[in-house]
Amino acid sequence: MADRVERLTNLLALLLESRVGLSLAEILTALDGQYPSGERAHRTAFERDKAALRDIGVPIETEVRTGDALAGQTRYRIDRAQYELDDLDLAPDEMRALQVAVATVRTDSGHDAILKLGGALSTGDRPPVSAVLPDRPELPTVRAAVAARRSVTFGYGGAQRAVDPWGVLLRGGFWYLVGHDHLRDAKRTFRIDRFDGEIELGEPGSFERPADFDPRSAFPADPKQIGHASDDAVEATVRIGAIRAAASERELGTDRVIARRGDGSIDVLVPATNLDAFRSWVIGLVEHAVVLGPPEIRREIVEWLRAVVEADPHGEVAT
Amino acid sequence: MSVAKKAGPRNAQDRLRRLLIVLPWLMEQGQVPLATVAERFDMSENEIAKDLELVAMCGLPPYVDEMVDVFVDHGMVFVGIPRLFTRPLRLTAPEGFALLAAGRAAMELPGADAEGPLARGLVKLADALGRAGLDEDVGQRVDDTAGVAVDLERPAGTEDVLDAVADGAELRIEYFSPARGEVNARTIVPRHVFVEGGNWYFLADDEQSNERRTFRIDRIESIDRTGTVHELDPDAVAPDAFFTDADLPRARVRLQPGARWIVDRYPTDSVELVSGSGKRTTQDRNAVVDVVLPVASDWWLSRLLVRLGPDAQVIEPAGADDGARELAARILSTYD
Repeated sequence: MADRVERLTNLLALLLESRVGLSLAEILTALDGQYPSGERAHRTAFERDKAALRDIGVPIETEVRTGDALAGQTRYRIDRAQYELDDLDLAPDEMRALQVAVATVRTDSGHDAILKLGGALSTGDRPPVSAVLPDRPELPTVRAAVAARRSVTFGYGGAQRAVDPWGVLLRGGFWYLVGHDHLRDAKRTFRIDRFDGEIELGEPGSFERPADFDPRSAFPADPKQIGHASDDAVEATVRIGAIRAAASERELGTDRVIARRGDGSIDVLVPATNLDAFRSWVIGLVEHAVVLGPPEIRREIVEWLRAVVEADPHGEVAT
Repeated sequence: MSVAKKAGPRNAQDRLRRLLIVLPWLMEQGQVPLATVAERFDMSENEIAKDLELVAMCGLPPYVDEMVDVFVDHGMVFVGIPRLFTRPLRLTAPEGFALLAAGRAAMELPGADAEGPLARGLVKLADALGRAGLDEDVGQRVDDTAGVAVDLERPAGTEDVLDAVADGAELRIEYFSPARGEVNARTIVPRHVFVEGGNWYFLADDEQSNERRTFRIDRIESIDRTGTVHELDPDAVAPDAFFTDADLPRARVRLQPGARWIVDRYPTDSVELVSGSGKRTTQDRNAVVDVVLPVASDWWLSRLLVRLGPDAQVIEPAGADDGARELAARILSTYD
């Protein structure tokens, strides 16, 4: 029996060269002696080969013959136009820029893509800055669905969601899908690492995306992010000690600073409409931040801290 | 040769995958030293020669005879008249995604040129990948991003650090250490800047410890050049897996719904549903869950517990809540 690489190469060549679809019987005749004998053994081996070729990206199509004595027979073919890489017509400097990008954002799949496009793995280039992107197995499927306008169905938060995918976005270290959620009939954002189970794909061209859609601006503002809320209904004054003053001013923006003191500390006015977010931020600064007012928010922080101090260390763990 | 060899046996599928990339390139070259092929495709000369000899034996008379005319002799690879495998396979979905994501991310890094060759190359790539798999009669024009956007917003000070890397400049920084809750002055030489998990870091030679350490840019309180310039180290690269927090101690914390946000914010080993929560799943925002998470320091855990207050209870390690009580009392004293 032939080496499997040899058999796979022969099978691929046969399907590429044939102008019409071939039946399994015809394939076995052409690859005489390369498949094990016996109906079940050769079918199993052929199915494995077909799966291996598809896995590396070979588009094998199946068609069921109709209308003659061989009706019902399955035939296999490869459409060359689907098999061969489109010529991207990259200029040398564009190719080089993509190479550097792949060296900067280290990814194995990216290396194979560069080689296919005729580039080299740039081992000499060591950019002074690099990025590590989180890798999720769902991403290529979701992106391809965006490009082909196929709706996607997936488990999320305990429910099945049907979404028209408009784009994927990396922000704050996580990949998000932005699209139209049929369950809520509204634009929604989903964290891709929270998808549950398999993704089911709809038909290509099953929806239209708003013409002016841009995933970067479609993203909802993080309610936990301090200093970026648009509706500052409640604001609190916080004194920040010298040790954390510079970093806090950078985080909040200089326009939030309402007083600067001789010891290096600053007073800032920050939104506190979302009290949970505000408390989490101010306590995160530990003894370097004190809420000066308004009194009800100051009291809220004091009570919270007191509750921690007075928590019963031997109490039951709540469920 | 500097390129490391991939270890372990390669399966038939991987060998064919690589061959279908190597062959079209060889056919363009005509003849090329075996060593050049090996280096370019990150394989050993042995592996390449073996696979090429195998593929030269392939053929299906009378259908497809002598499909690949290739032989290896005295360290040279010769290719005859190209017939099959003259074009590489189209990009797979993972390859297309990887390339787009890498390109988009690189466009977000400091120094990227919005009109430069990368931007132009990405438009061509998006055009090709947007078309792939699309029915002709649907024919919708896909936007330039081809569905992938990357936002790597960077903290103030990133450019200063990057300039220092380029110049080999020594810096005097005031740096907030969350593990100790203190700000310290340090003298360092930045070597490489990288972004991971939404945060910006840099590697630097730390004068005090005489070691290469990782710092977070958003924890720099102030930054000044000392005027001293050191030799550049072009070999400095980001660690392969920066979050090697495998050695850190762990804490098990029970989270009420109000504390659930930390699962989205911090790395966790596990998130388990607490029994008695009925038919809920761990994805349910109203479920009570136990999380196990790496703990940078006792101080860090105390601070987290004070922020979470009654919404969290530490189960392990025992006594961790003592630290939280002490910290809460210390903060309270500033309100007297």
